[in-house]
Amino acid sequence: MITPSLTESVVDLSDRTTLHDYDAIARSSGLRTIMTASEELPRAQADDIRRAAAVAVIHNPWIGTGTDEDLAPATRRIAPLLAKLLTDRLRAALGGAPAIQAFGKAAFVGSAGELEHAAAFIHTPYFGNLMREALEGSSILCFVDGHASPGDVVRIPLWHKTAAATRDYYQTITVDLPDAPHPDEIVVIAAASTGPRPHARIGDRTTDAPVTSDILKEITL
Amino acid sequence: MNYRKLVTTVEEVAEEGGRAVDPIARLAIVAVVIENPWAGQGFVEDLAPGIDAVASDLGALLAPRVMAALGGPLEAYGKAAIVGLNGEIEHGSALIHTLKFGDHFRRAAGASTLLPAVEKRGPAGVSFDIPLKHFTDATIRSHHQSVEVRLADAPHPDEIIIALAGAAQGRPQQRLAALSSEQK
Repeated sequence: MITPSLTESVVDLSDRTTLHDYDAIARSSGLRTIMTASEELPRAQADDIRRAAAVAVIHNPWIGTGTDEDLAPATRRIAPLLAKLLTDRLRAALGGAPAIQAFGKAAFVGSAGELEHAAAFIHTPYFGNLMREALEGSSILCFVDGHASPGDVVRIPLWHKTAAATRDYYQTITVDLPDAPHPDEIVVIAAASTGPRPHARIGDRTTDAPVTSDILKEITL
Repeated sequence: MNYRKLVTTVEEVAEEGGRAVDPIARLAIVAVVIENPWAGQGFVEDLAPGIDAVASDLGALLAPRVMAALGGPLEAYGKAAIVGLNGEIEHGSALIHTLKFGDHFRRAAGASTLLPAVEKRGPAGVSFDIPLKHFTDATIRSHHQSVEVRLADAPHPDEIIIALAGAAQGRPQQRLAALSSEQK
């Protein structure tokens, strides 16, 4: 593992991209690889839908620590860097924050780590608030987390970035993890879409008829 | 060019073997999912008309996207054709093993060598490894590498995935002796 530089310096990342020249950020966050996959889905009578997932693979900073370890210091230092790296790539892949309509997130910890290590990187404001800000959203981010092994295929849930209950935007994106996470690594994912499901047509809570289990009394077989 | 899905993937490798990769290595893959031009026609003896109708457009679609995704000069490249279960592997080979297809990528990349390739048949979600070699000298050992690709929900039985891959450099932490060192 690469240890952070002993001569750390304060930099302002708020107004610069991390798409290039981000070696220092990679070192500081323990980044091994970052992968961005974007899909273009043409539709006959509507705009193409573009969906993307950005996937960071980092060293688990808490390997060898116990369940009494305070996770806050490393979370506060690393999670904002991951949010910046990942959302810069989503915005570049999807045509900018205004084009993005739905989003979601995920974290998977390798076998030598603890579920709480994955949770620390995505379930705190140090990641979620920055992701909402970068993608111009306001919804709570839907998510998936857990342990994973290299070769796993995972599905990331997305919903609307400002109106989470809008049913047309409930969707998932599939992400392939060919070589991660190693036992001592964590995978952190941010995902987004420029549109709803390709042919959404199952109504919404505004159009639903009232439904209770009474419907079971009227079933025709 | 009609397609059901086009997927662009960029991999950046910042560390390998416990050491920093400097500069950070970049590799891009663009894969498109199309209908098999010969689907439902039984055994087609002459594949040339289908090749003429599709192969050049495929190369023109994919090559500039790989270069754009890579964002700089290319040093290694490769290609893939993954045929859905109703098709022949020969259908995939037909679409990628002509100059009509490959020359688009060679021109876009300033390349001169033949593109290494993977051809296989499989179900939706099948994983495949695209081999890459140096873009002007296929004997340059530092640039022999491969990348794993997998598309969710493709290819369907009557579809084909066609993909191009390009790398800005050889393997991260490449340090093998050159082929010439064994040919004295």
